[in-house]
Amino acid sequence: MNRNEICEKLTVIFQEVFGDNSIVLRDDMTASDVENWDSLTHMLMITKVEEVFGIKFKLKELNKLKMVGDLIASVESKLQ
Amino acid sequence: MTFTSFEFLLFFPAVVILYNLCPKNLRVWYLLAVSYVFYALMQPVYLLLLVAVTGVTYGFTHWMGKTEDEKKKGRIMVVGIIFVLLPLFFFKYFGFINDVFFSCLRLIGINCTVPAIHWMLPVGISFYTFMAIGYLIDVNNEEVDIETNIGAVGLFLSFFPYILSGPIERAGNMFPQLKKMPTSQPLDLSSGAKLMLWGYFMKLCVADRLGIYVDAVFNNIPQHNGTTLAIATLLYPIQVYGDLGGYSLIAIGAARCMGIKIVPNFNRPFFATSMSELWRRWHMSLINWLTDYIYTPLSFALRSWKVWGIVCALMLTFLISGIWHGAALTFIVWGFVQGVYLSIEALTQKRRSALESKYNLTQKWFYLLICCLVVYLLFAFSQIFGRCVTLSDAWLVITKICSDRGPVFIDRATFAYGGLMVVVLFIKDFLSEYHTDFLFGFNSKHIVLRYTTYILVLFLILLFGVLDSSQFIYFQF
Repeated sequence: MNRNEICEKLTVIFQEVFGDNSIVLRDDMTASDVENWDSLTHMLMITKVEEVFGIKFKLKELNKLKMVGDLIASVESKLQ
Repeated sequence: MTFTSFEFLLFFPAVVILYNLCPKNLRVWYLLAVSYVFYALMQPVYLLLLVAVTGVTYGFTHWMGKTEDEKKKGRIMVVGIIFVLLPLFFFKYFGFINDVFFSCLRLIGINCTVPAIHWMLPVGISFYTFMAIGYLIDVNNEEVDIETNIGAVGLFLSFFPYILSGPIERAGNMFPQLKKMPTSQPLDLSSGAKLMLWGYFMKLCVADRLGIYVDAVFNNIPQHNGTTLAIATLLYPIQVYGDLGGYSLIAIGAARCMGIKIVPNFNRPFFATSMSELWRRWHMSLINWLTDYIYTPLSFALRSWKVWGIVCALMLTFLISGIWHGAALTFIVWGFVQGVYLSIEALTQKRRSALESKYNLTQKWFYLLICCLVVYLLFAFSQIFGRCVTLSDAWLVITKICSDRGPVFIDRATFAYGGLMVVVLFIKDFLSEYHTDFLFGFNSKHIVLRYTTYILVLFLILLFGVLDSSQFIYFQF
C-alpha cells in the first residue's frame, strides 16, 4: 500500500471517528487542529487504524506520534 | 514562609537579584540551595525525605541509562517508582488503609490493630512524588534524556515556586531550561510581576474573601439550612479557583522573573462548555500528568473494549485522582463522580456533536451560556465531596440542599466585597476568553492605562484582600 492509499484510508477513519466529513489530512496536522480530537477520541481512532490496516501499535510508539505525518509514517513502516 | 507572608515579599526580590548576580554555571546550585532553605523553613526534618527522593530518582534513572535490555529497564523503572512512592504511601495512606483493613477484619470478628501513625504530612510530597514518577517513566519511554547533573534533578523536584502546590512540572520542560539558566530579561520581570500581582488578587481578594463565608458554613453544617449550604456550595469552586489558580499564577510569575517558564495550571475553567473541556482547563498540570501516565496506558491496554475501554480507563483515572487528593472516602467518591460525568459525555459525544452541527449551536450565545451553567452546577455538586470531611457530612449537605429551605445566612462584608472581587475576576476572564483582540488592563497598549491597572489591582488587594498569611487549600495534598 502506498502513502496516498494510506492517507485516503486514514482520512475516512478521521472523518468517521471525529464526526466531520470535511477533514482533509495534512502532515503537520495535530489534535488542536481537529474538533473533537481529544484524549478520549484519540484511542478510538488508534483502535480503528489498527483494525483497518491490520497492524498493532506499541504504547511507546503511540507516545512518539506528535502529528498526522508521524502516524502516516508509522503505518507505512508497519505495512512494509 | 508562604507566598502570602510578609517574609516572602522580602525573600523573593533578594533571591531574584542574587540569581542574576550569580555566575551562570552556579545558578542551578544557587536555586537548589534557595529551594531547600525555603522548604526547610517550613518543615526542616522532611527536607531529608525530599533529598532521599531526589537521590532515588537520580540513581534509578542512571541505572536505566546503563541498561540496554528493554525489559530489564522497565523492571528498574517499576522498582524506582515503588521506592519513590513508599514515603507518600507511608505518610498519606498508611493510616487510612490501616483503618479500612482492620475495620473489615472487625466485621468478620477478628480484633487486632496496628498503632495508627499521626505524623504531619510532608508538604508538597504528592507533587514532587508525581514529578519524580513522571521523570522515571519518561526515561523508560525515551521521551527525555537522562540528566547527569544531580543538582538539576534536585532543583527539578524542589524548585521553590512550585514545590508546595504545583504546577506539577515535567522533566521534558524543565531540564532544557535548567541547562540554560538565563539572565532575567526586562520582559521576564514585567511578565512575571504581572502574573504574580494577578495571582495575589485571586488568592487574597477572591479565595480568602469567599473562604470566610464558605468555611463558616461548611465548618458548621448542622447549624445551617439548605439555602445557605447551596450558596456556599456554589461559591466553593470559585474559592478553589482563586486559591489554587492564584497560587499557580504566583508560582509561574516567580519562576518567570528568573526567565524560567513553568507549565500553566488553569485556563478560565468556568467558560468550559463540557466536563471534558473543564478538565482541560482546571488543574491542567495534574490532569495532563494523569492523562499521560495513567489514562493513556490504561485506555491503550483496554482499547479492544472500544468505548467501554475508555469508560473503564476514565473511571480508574479519576479514582486515582481522588485518592491523590486525599486518603478519605470523600475523595474516592469525588473521583467516582468525575469519572461518571466524563463517561456519560464519552458515551453521548457523537450525538451531542451531531446535534450541535445540525443547529449550529456552538455559535449561539444562549447555548454556550446554558452549557457553562450546567457544567458549573455539576462541578459544584461534585466539589461537595471535596470540601466535606466525611461522607455523612456530604450526604447531610445534599439532603439539606434538597429539602431544608430557609433564610440565608448573610455575612454582609463577605457578600459585598467578595461579590465585587468575583465580578472583577469574571470580567477579566470573560474578556480574555471572548475578546482576545481587545488589549485591556495589564496588556493595554497605553502605558498610562497599564500602570493605572497595576495600581488599581494593588489598591484592591490592600483594600479588600484578606492579609493574614492564610494557608493555601492545596498544601494539605
